[in-house]
Amino acid sequence: MNNPVLENIRRSLGRTAPTSPSPRPAIYPPRQAESTEAEIVRSLEEVRKLSGVAQTIHADTVPDALKTLVAEQNIKKATAWNTPNLQQLQITHHLASLGVELVSPNAGKHDLALCDLGITEADYLLPETGTLVLKSSAEKPRAVSLLPRVHLAIVRPGQLRPDLHQVFDEARHDPYLVFITGPSRTADIELTVTLGVHGPKSLYVWMLEEV
Amino acid sequence: MPQAQLFLTCLGDQFYTRTLQNMTLLLERLGVEIVFPPEQTCCGQPHFNNGFEREARQVARNFLRAFSRSEAPIVGPSGSCVSMVKHHYPELFPPGTVEHETAVEIASRVYEFTEYLVHVLKVTDVGAVYPHKVTYHASCHYLREMGLKTEAKTLLNAVRGLEFIPLTEEETCCGFGGAFTVTYPEVSRAMMENKVRTILASGADTVITCEPGCLMNIAGGLHKAGSSIRAMHIIDLLASK
Amino acid sequence: MSETPTYIGFETYTEHIPPSIPAAVQQATGRFVGGRAARVAELPHFEQLRQIASDIRLHTIENLDFYLERLAEQVTAAGGHVHWAATAEDARQIVLDLARRHNVHLVVKSKSMATEEIALNHALEAAGIEALETDLGEYIIQLAGTGPSHIIVPAVHLTKEEIAAIFSEKLGIEAPADPVELTRIARQVLREKFLRAEMGISGANFLVAETGTLVMVTNEGNGRMCTTLPDLHVAVVGIDKVIPDWDSLTVFLKLLARSATGQKLSTYTQFITGPRRAESEFGPREFHLVLLDNGRSNVLRDPLGRQVFKCIRCGACANVCPVYKNVGGFAYGWFISGPIGAIFAPQMLGTPVARELPYASTLCGACAEVCPVKIPIPAILRHLRRRVAEGDSLAPATMPAPIRAVAKLSAFALAQHWIYRLGARILPLVMSIFRRGDWIPSAPYPLSRWTKARPLPPFTAGFRQWWQKRKTGL
Repeated sequence: MNNPVLENIRRSLGRTAPTSPSPRPAIYPPRQAESTEAEIVRSLEEVRKLSGVAQTIHADTVPDALKTLVAEQNIKKATAWNTPNLQQLQITHHLASLGVELVSPNAGKHDLALCDLGITEADYLLPETGTLVLKSSAEKPRAVSLLPRVHLAIVRPGQLRPDLHQVFDEARHDPYLVFITGPSRTADIELTVTLGVHGPKSLYVWMLEEV
Repeated sequence: MPQAQLFLTCLGDQFYTRTLQNMTLLLERLGVEIVFPPEQTCCGQPHFNNGFEREARQVARNFLRAFSRSEAPIVGPSGSCVSMVKHHYPELFPPGTVEHETAVEIASRVYEFTEYLVHVLKVTDVGAVYPHKVTYHASCHYLREMGLKTEAKTLLNAVRGLEFIPLTEEETCCGFGGAFTVTYPEVSRAMMENKVRTILASGADTVITCEPGCLMNIAGGLHKAGSSIRAMHIIDLLASK
Repeated sequence: MSETPTYIGFETYTEHIPPSIPAAVQQATGRFVGGRAARVAELPHFEQLRQIASDIRLHTIENLDFYLERLAEQVTAAGGHVHWAATAEDARQIVLDLARRHNVHLVVKSKSMATEEIALNHALEAAGIEALETDLGEYIIQLAGTGPSHIIVPAVHLTKEEIAAIFSEKLGIEAPADPVELTRIARQVLREKFLRAEMGISGANFLVAETGTLVMVTNEGNGRMCTTLPDLHVAVVGIDKVIPDWDSLTVFLKLLARSATGQKLSTYTQFITGPRRAESEFGPREFHLVLLDNGRSNVLRDPLGRQVFKCIRCGACANVCPVYKNVGGFAYGWFISGPIGAIFAPQMLGTPVARELPYASTLCGACAEVCPVKIPIPAILRHLRRRVAEGDSLAPATMPAPIRAVAKLSAFALAQHWIYRLGARILPLVMSIFRRGDWIPSAPYPLSRWTKARPLPPFTAGFRQWWQKRKTGL
């Protein structure tokens, strides 16, 4: 195929035909995981440092935690991912009983934009930075963690990965990933840090510990 | 008796007679026999740094000739000029030529003054007395090209009566940059004024640098600002009794 | 702002800089430098990471054809469309055609240096398409009609009062001079645009050849909006942004935010491989990648100069640059400023356009000390100065003849020690005319350019006589 850009690159690099490169220089090895307890503490601390709200919960304290969140953030409308884990926790059921109107995560963007709260679960969690890693699918629409003004992500200890390396090893063939490290922020006006400029203003991370 | 060849640097030669005298006397006091090659002029850095490599080569050839007559180490009062000889002379001549060989050989025995004191003579206390509040500007090439991060401070630390005051943004360029001062005079001025502001705010009565270029710039800036703070080359402070 | 410049007059510009610009810029750089230092101190192997990052970038540049070909294959395999744009005009046409074909009226843009480089907004507006910058700082300067003063905080030169006035005027609403309120207003206005836009345009921080993945790093979430809500996503990206694989990303993602803002990671990092697979997951129905050459493949001929393409656009070099901190971003005349701009523009636009920029540095070396991919910026500045002064295989000399003549004459004099020594005897006599006490307050041209800022010490040149006298006296 005739590609003038590639041809000119080759000319400039002094090559006439495509060649296979030598192996890429070696990368730095991943950090080692500490104990699960320490990794959990670290993850939640990092989320808090970035003005997120982080806590550990148990399946049976979910209703109370939701009640507090709904009151704290004045939640009227919410949407949640349709995943087995969230269904098992009966998130939507609890929200409905708190009088919150529920919107399907597959509703249109205009409807999702009216939600106060979006609930997801993280596919991975990176302790060093308090980073949530979210995949995307029909059950896990991207807009749920983006359009509502509050984002709640539920995560389990099994999702902890010590470093980027392990996440990439497992997820590099996923068509879409997003890393979320704290709430949306800007410092564009006089360097004043302001949360929630475009994405969620508040980020809640609940670490669901098995009893 | 160790010998050293005196590398005046052209700024030193033109503006800092006393500093060069002090350098000579100090080294002699430390038991060094001074050799002075009178054919030396400039190291060629002004040409090299401004893109005139052919011209820099011409000037460098004169330097190589002047300092090849003796095998003694070459010592200069400027990290910048010494770095030119040490790091850039070998780049000026194609490998495999006699000139390149000479450049590499000369580069292997050129030292900045404080470097020579601390690392060759292994002297950190020259017996100086200077009962003043002193702050220090780390010159760019001295610091980053020569990698001299502690030498000046080690020497200052041993001076009797000296109270050292760290300078805010000690490692920020003073705006000298050689021809830069006349190429972009307003930018150079702004940088110099920032440096002068931090010196004024330091509370010191003396500011030290190891570089004639920075010294001209900072001393002139302090004078313009109406300040009585003294700007000195470290050699002149170390010569104080 | 943002048409391709025909001459960058750094000197003219820097003669009259309003003092508010360096003041604001220095606040920003001060914060970022402090943040970076703290993050670097936390990472014991930072120096090793830098070396690896530098090695990977060099390796990629030296095999750019291979990785680009692989990238294009993978993007296509993932259902995306790849467009090769040899020139800025090609790139503009590709985007305009896509917009026309999809009947686009409103474009939301996530900050992208490549679209600044090709002045895409102008082209879209000329075609009657509204193109809106959505990064808050970029949005503000777009409303204000100015260029960026800093890569990370482009509107830092504007005060909250000025921004409030701009909002009030352009949006026709009462805007208070309060950052939080102004941010809320921008959120409201832009949210409506995000939901309405038919096309999202972005750049990329990295393109991963291994899987054809576009990596985008933002803090505000506007980048996510642009790539999640519109049905069409067009990414315009320089061909230098490709990296081999995901393993390489482990290195660059650790360096980027730490070097830029002093964050460990930016708030949002997206990894986009092709368009959405299911309609209900959101994301664009079509994904287009425009690979922009625009002269890069020519710059590759220069083994030293091409190291500019190692750049990951963190801005750390500018944050520590004493020249940048005193002149701000506008002085560099194009979309990319600071030390990296001073080695990028002269190579991309040519030395006839940007010959002043390689000289916009004292060669202090602070930039090279912090660069996360170890670009030898001072060496490249000297290299480009040589291109300007003497010319090389890539471009003829562009230095004005009088300066070249001065260089030649002075070198001749300095190479003959007797001329130098004669001069050293005459100069003090001549200059003594201008001496007033211990100083020369005002000297003739060209030294007048020195003395207009500070006096010159008197020419003494007394050492040689002292030495001579001492030697004969001994």
